[in-house]
Amino acid sequence: MSLCRPTFSLLRKCIGQNLYNLRLSDSRSIKRWVSPTLRELKRRRDRIGPEPERPRSSFLEWNYEAEVYAFGKRLGEEFDKNLLKRALIQREYANKQEFAAREKGLPTPEMLHNYELIQEGSKIISKVIIDEYEKLYPQDIVKAVHEYLTTEDMLSHVGKHIGLKDLVLTNEFPVVNETLSNTFKAVVAALKQSQNLERAELFVKDFLLSQMNGKDVYEIWDPKNPYEYLMKLLNDKGISEVEPRLCNQSAVNTILANYQIGLYSNKKLLGIGWGENVEVAKETAAIDAIQRLFRNYVPKQ
Amino acid sequence: MSALKRVQQWATFARIWHLYDAAWQNPFDSAQVIKKHLMGLHKPIYHTMSQCGDVVVVINSADIALPGDEWKKRVYFHHTGYPGGASWTLAWELHEKDPTMVLKKAVYNSMDGNIQRRYTMQRLLIFPDSNVPKDILENISNQLRPLRKVPKRLDHYPEKEVKEFPKIIDYPKDYIVK
Repeated sequence: MSLCRPTFSLLRKCIGQNLYNLRLSDSRSIKRWVSPTLRELKRRRDRIGPEPERPRSSFLEWNYEAEVYAFGKRLGEEFDKNLLKRALIQREYANKQEFAAREKGLPTPEMLHNYELIQEGSKIISKVIIDEYEKLYPQDIVKAVHEYLTTEDMLSHVGKHIGLKDLVLTNEFPVVNETLSNTFKAVVAALKQSQNLERAELFVKDFLLSQMNGKDVYEIWDPKNPYEYLMKLLNDKGISEVEPRLCNQSAVNTILANYQIGLYSNKKLLGIGWGENVEVAKETAAIDAIQRLFRNYVPKQ
Repeated sequence: MSALKRVQQWATFARIWHLYDAAWQNPFDSAQVIKKHLMGLHKPIYHTMSQCGDVVVVINSADIALPGDEWKKRVYFHHTGYPGGASWTLAWELHEKDPTMVLKKAVYNSMDGNIQRRYTMQRLLIFPDSNVPKDILENISNQLRPLRKVPKRLDHYPEKEVKEFPKIIDYPKDYIVK
């Protein structure tokens, strides 16, 4: 052990010396260029501004065939390849391609477009919505829900999120909502022609009707004059006399006044509503009465 | 939000005005009930951060009943902030000066001393008698049940009823009733 001692002390001295050297060389190599360079790069980046949005198809590795194939597989549907491709081509795009070919003197390719498919798809979508909602609600509500679900915004929202945005062949960029909603309709029609009507209807149910999840139909359908509407409904049922009664009121002389009004007919409560004044409470009572009437709605066979 | 959902919200947060008759009531027990309604603790939607408290209108605060010898023993302390500015006022003295003060302080002291306390107190209206302004009376839509039954005093019974009440004995003719 005593022999080892000088060795240890020498070793310690050696390490100490080296550490000292290391520290010296460290302090010499602080990279003072890093921060100004990054700052300059950031400044140049900001001066150029944000990168313009580019269509996904302009990227190098874009493979249209593969994307179209994957589209159907992703949704779990078997599409006819040509039909699906046709559903994605807008009429304006097809026309433009044809003109371009004619100008160049090339043989004009016969470009198919989705115009007919849009009409057909639109009919299928309407049919599914109306058939489904007629089972549960009367005509007026069915109409309102149909209108809500077939708006351009709603259809384009669905179309965009099932991935049509990058697949659509169209002249404009970015793709407008009208094109997306039309393409969604065309895709439905393409599915019907590829498989059958039943499959297309299920597709609409899965992707479009599911948009109604968590939404209240009475928020979508809002009658303008609920009291008059209720009277019309009750007249059909043979009830002509309705008596609005003040059930409760609180803090009437303050800004937080609250009234509760019940609509009675033949001593039976039809609906009850609240409001900051008597008129509003009466109208909301009418809305409540309408909802109660519709709750046990039986569709006409 | 549909019209019905909107008024549902409106009705949920409606401010109810309660009436409380303080005659013959212990102010410290009453304070617990009044506080509950002032803060909205009786509502299922209660939360410290939401404004769901009601208004309580207290009448007849001059007729409160303190337990035991509290009128003589209870002391309210006040300090003006200047040297020698401390003062101690007995409950009966305070009640003579302002017949709403004992109840008001009882409610105030029953609540935690946080930032909401003074705003909650603004919703408490105390009247020494039953003369309440008409516009306040119109707002009231509920009455809180008194904690104790108000006993009927002998001199409030009609004389006939007192005379006809069955007696165990009859005083002798020559007995002088004090």
